[in-house]
Amino acid sequence: MSAIHHPSTAWLLDYATGNAPPLFETVIRAHVGACADCRHEIAFAENLGGELIASGSANSTGTLSAQDICDRYEQQDDAGTPFSRADEVALNGGIEQFVATYLNRSVDALPWKSLGGGLKICRLAEEHGAHMWMLRGQAGTVLPEHTHGGSELTLVLKGSYFCGSDIFHAGDIEDADEDTEHQPVITRDGECICLAVTEGNLRFKKLLPRLAQPFIGI
Amino acid sequence: MLALMSDERMKMPDNVIPLTVGDDTGVDAMRRAETLLLVKVRDTGDRQAYKELFDAFTPRLRAYARNHGCEAGAAENVVQDVMVTAWTRARLFDPDKASARTWIYTLVRNRLIDQHRAGERRQRAYDGYATTYSESISDVDSSEKDLRNSRLTALLVELPQEQRQAVLMAHIEGKSHREIAEELNVPVGTIKSRTRLALQRLRKVMEDPA
Repeated sequence: MSAIHHPSTAWLLDYATGNAPPLFETVIRAHVGACADCRHEIAFAENLGGELIASGSANSTGTLSAQDICDRYEQQDDAGTPFSRADEVALNGGIEQFVATYLNRSVDALPWKSLGGGLKICRLAEEHGAHMWMLRGQAGTVLPEHTHGGSELTLVLKGSYFCGSDIFHAGDIEDADEDTEHQPVITRDGECICLAVTEGNLRFKKLLPRLAQPFIGI
Repeated sequence: MLALMSDERMKMPDNVIPLTVGDDTGVDAMRRAETLLLVKVRDTGDRQAYKELFDAFTPRLRAYARNHGCEAGAAENVVQDVMVTAWTRARLFDPDKASARTWIYTLVRNRLIDQHRAGERRQRAYDGYATTYSESISDVDSSEKDLRNSRLTALLVELPQEQRQAVLMAHIEGKSHREIAEELNVPVGTIKSRTRLALQRLRKVMEDPA
């Protein structure tokens, strides 16, 4: 799988520096595990971090001693998790397996809530004002046109959808924010399942979705 | 004085992203020497090599942790954890994937993430960074001072101020792009754009200086 649409450089820098909010980080990690281009960007950001540290102040003194550390601690032989965020995820089983592992259950076993019109939704988590959702829609489903109250990252797990002239396939991320106005339409190729994280509420343009919004909670 | 400018040269694998191509007498040589030291620590548990790395990085890690809002005691704990990990887990270091300074960056970054998630409050110290950065390396001689600062400083200074600010606020202050946008009172899209242009430019110059 080779993704065409990626998180913005700002999100990748957030991820590389550890500054991304946790729910967004989960979505980015799933994409990065399957995207060599993004792993390369993250590796570059980590290189930059190393250069900045090496260029930093050497003025301070402390109480630590190299000899103390060598005397007190043994070197370990065990293999372990790599420290680079460009290497930490190996998606041998693909994004769907990552998500299933993250959820600790299969996508089909989730408590889906039907919204009508071929669209189902499942609210997975809430943290620091952000919500994580799973969305699943039948082929040809048209979502209501909307803008956003904050950032939104949508990872396509299965199938595809389009917004305007952009088509998002499995593995792609759509990076949206309050400046983005869109109306996703699921392609006629088949069912589409997405993992999305949003900040704030969506802002629907039409009255009906706005009326339904308090009941959906999106 | 660091013993990083020795004549020992380590052939770096092709897939390590070169940050200053062609500068074999300066920052590149220093980076290679650091990496060679860490390989010695990894392969033979060389205590002298570890001490040289320790002396080179400990004060810088301490400054980095302080710039991420750690109080003195907390910064010392971060530095200790990082340097203990650098000793005990050196066998995880792979010079095919990263230089020593990048590997050590990942250790301190991960440690600060753990600290942040444990609920320890981060304080912001961007203003302090500019001073620290410009006054750095006062305990090494002037040639090393020039070598350490020249390329990266030049590259960062060449960036438009707004782009440089976005990169430094992310890397040095530990702020997300949304936090940067809110602090600077500009749209999120503006910070996304500045970050993209900054990284694009840095990457182009660092990877293809010609």
